[in-house]
Amino acid sequence: MVKLKSGSTAQGGEDGAKKRRKIPDSAPLVGVLLFMMVLFSITSEYFFQIDNFKNVLANAAVTGIVCIPSTFLIISGQIDLSVGSAAAVSGMLLAQVVNHHGVVLGLLSVLIFGLILGCFNGFIVTVIGVNALITTLGGLGFLYGVALLIGNGQTLGMKNFDWLGTAQPIDIPLPILIFTVLAIIGSITLRFTKFGRSIYAIGSNPNAARVVGIRSNRVMFMTFILSSVAAALAGAVLASQLSSGDPNSGLGLELQVVTAIVLGGASLAGGRGTILGTVLGLLIVGVLNNGLILMDVPTFWQRIAQGLMLIVAVSFDSIRAKLNNTRS
Amino acid sequence: MSNTTELIRLEGIKKSYNSVEVLHGVDLTVNAGEVIALLGENGAGKSTLVKILAGDIFPTEGVIKIDNSELAGLDVYQARQLGIRMIFQELNDAPTLTVAENIFLGQWPTSGGRIAWKELKRKAQEVLDRLEVDIPLDAIAGSLRVGERQLIEIARALIQNAKILVLDEPTAALSNVEVERLFKVMDQLKAQGVGMVYITHRLDEVTRVADRVQVLRDGNPVLNEFAKDVSRDALVTAMLGHAAVKNARPEVSKGHTVALEVKGLSDGSVFNDISFNVHEGEVVCLFGKIGSGTSEILESIFGLRTITSGEIDIYSERFTPKSPQDSVSKKIGYLPADRQRLGSFAIRSVAENLSVASWARMAKAGFVRKMDEEAAYGTWADALSISARRGPSQEIATLSGGNQQKVLLGRWFEARVNVLLLVEPTRGVDVGARRDIYEIIRKQAKESNMAVLVATSDYEEVVLLADRALVVSRGAISAEFTDDLVQANKLIAASS
Ligand SMILES: Nc1ncnc2c1ncn2[C@@H]1O[C@H](COP(=O)(O)OP(=O)(O)OP(=O)(O)O)[C@@H](O)[C@H]1O
Ligand SMILES: [Mg+2]
Repeated sequence: MVKLKSGSTAQGGEDGAKKRRKIPDSAPLVGVLLFMMVLFSITSEYFFQIDNFKNVLANAAVTGIVCIPSTFLIISGQIDLSVGSAAAVSGMLLAQVVNHHGVVLGLLSVLIFGLILGCFNGFIVTVIGVNALITTLGGLGFLYGVALLIGNGQTLGMKNFDWLGTAQPIDIPLPILIFTVLAIIGSITLRFTKFGRSIYAIGSNPNAARVVGIRSNRVMFMTFILSSVAAALAGAVLASQLSSGDPNSGLGLELQVVTAIVLGGASLAGGRGTILGTVLGLLIVGVLNNGLILMDVPTFWQRIAQGLMLIVAVSFDSIRAKLNNTRS
Repeated sequence: MSNTTELIRLEGIKKSYNSVEVLHGVDLTVNAGEVIALLGENGAGKSTLVKILAGDIFPTEGVIKIDNSELAGLDVYQARQLGIRMIFQELNDAPTLTVAENIFLGQWPTSGGRIAWKELKRKAQEVLDRLEVDIPLDAIAGSLRVGERQLIEIARALIQNAKILVLDEPTAALSNVEVERLFKVMDQLKAQGVGMVYITHRLDEVTRVADRVQVLRDGNPVLNEFAKDVSRDALVTAMLGHAAVKNARPEVSKGHTVALEVKGLSDGSVFNDISFNVHEGEVVCLFGKIGSGTSEILESIFGLRTITSGEIDIYSERFTPKSPQDSVSKKIGYLPADRQRLGSFAIRSVAENLSVASWARMAKAGFVRKMDEEAAYGTWADALSISARRGPSQEIATLSGGNQQKVLLGRWFEARVNVLLLVEPTRGVDVGARRDIYEIIRKQAKESNMAVLVATSDYEEVVLLADRALVVSRGAISAEFTDDLVQANKLIAASS
């Protein structure tokens, strides 16, 4: 038996670490969120009310559905910017098909659209080897065109299909329930499954991932499909909420998604990030939007605030990396 | 010596990471024209100490004295101003740039705002000539061997006219000839009055280059003497805290079944017509100078490098390596020479790095249990004496270099592969642990009937590790030794 040292160094260290539990990474996010909630409660009497919270959450849920697989992508070092336009196409498609062929075919067509787009993105990025940013930026452009094309540049009214966006089983809007379920599944997948763990490994060192036998391309392909399907679903929910397909409805969705994820602590360099963080980031973005609306701030200011938020979030990412470096 | 000029003095240096102290009050004085060998086990704090000297990290306590002034620590720019240059343990180059660009990284000579390419190339060639290395200036750094890249980093430090030069295990990936050339250059620098700190795990190098030896153990200074006054045994005892057990050539054995057979393998450039086999439970070493083709042969078997002719059989079945993933699924493991690029998941935990190649086996319905990962950590942290102060969740990048290497080795034991390919398995591992690792590799091979193929340039490693040794010279097998014929002098003679 080759027993060399009494492993005491390792074991002792572990105990020590347990005693000095460090502050969880999400603590500052919770702090920011609470701060904003207190602030808006003071500035607007409408803020701190159940109905308003439902409203915030229902809006955040649409973005949130997209955020879950997008978090996977960012952790693996990729990105999907086509989600906003994909959601728009999905909404237009849904309105068109529901009006002419009914709800079942409408939902089916949306699902198929998501699958096809995901395969397309996955193929271009993993098989052809084009950078994901460029591929999906292209998608963002051409899908917006497709969304306009479907409705000839107009919004399309949709009849008899608002339950997906507005139904309230157990008194909670359906989109919130969908998002919650997805977030839980997403979190479990990332933390406990081989698939999820591979995503961290790929993001942390793609070359080493190959050497240890991880089928990186397969994992990436799957993740792009999940991302597009989620975008299609979000588009359907949005169209159902609005009772119409609007080609402009997905504008800026990708921006909100990336902002929420990066704010939540995922690193654009890959290898780091959690669903919990993303959810907190999402809530911060959602509460900020809502608070500004309640304060009657004109919409263009909201855009400005959102854009700045992304820059702040990314700066956090860099500052965090710098802090880690100096500490080590 | 009374006529030595003191260049810099570190006093009472302490350093803590997240309130764990890893240096407990260490002194280091660098004099002009003097080489200090800094020794110690993996994780003793050598790299940490020299990083403080080079301004890479800040000490928690202690003073740094230079030219009558006292500082609490240096930053990179101050260190640069003071002429302190460091060659880091881990590669620190720009892999997508050329050799010439890398040599001048960050300080490209310019004329009128434009890079003076002619001058750059001339100077780069000069310094490579000084090191007697033959690497084309326009080769892309990333395509070179780890050892060659290390030489380029040394070249970079040389053109910067250092007053104080720190070399953190520069020779771990170099061949003996390359090491000797480096030593010649160090002799020249010494004559010019450059003070040097030299970290190594190869004790025979100490008497060759060092004037003074300093040993650290667990972050404490334990020995500081003139090199000529201490014996090798005294050094080992100081490092380990006890005398080393004498290792002899192990008893050789092998199974009956041939696990890996290679016939007439060529890659069209580096190696040619290579044939050999490895039995179950057998450790075969391919011994050759770095650059002789040993590591490339392993790369090809694993599917990282294409072959132009020849065949590979795994358990008598034809195996055409298509990709690393394919090889892993055929239960072949591979420990790369370039541990940063191909080995470690730097920002992930030690436990994860240990078990990542075993997820396929550990997974139940797609789920990998933390318990299993921590069990893997328990097993290998113990058997390989991996020192991770914060346990299984510590990020691997914060382990000392040698301990990272042990984690990557443990990864493949945990994966229970049938054929294990190891490139320089003890690169950067200290003397004590090195012997232990040989023992463990052999034990794993025998107990789990694993065929182990090692590419190495260290003859001592071959003597202590191999059941059988194949000497590779200029891409071809030039000799084979078995049993007690595996001897250092024979290996060296056959490899040149
Ligand atoms: N960034 C960091 N965070 C936490 N601990 C660290 C960090 N860097 C180093 N350490 C710890 O400090 C100790 C000393 O490490 P160091 O790299 O100085 O060892 P070393 O003597 O150079 O070993 P080796 O011979 O293996 O290179 C180790 O226990 C290591 O885990
Ligand atoms: Mg070190």
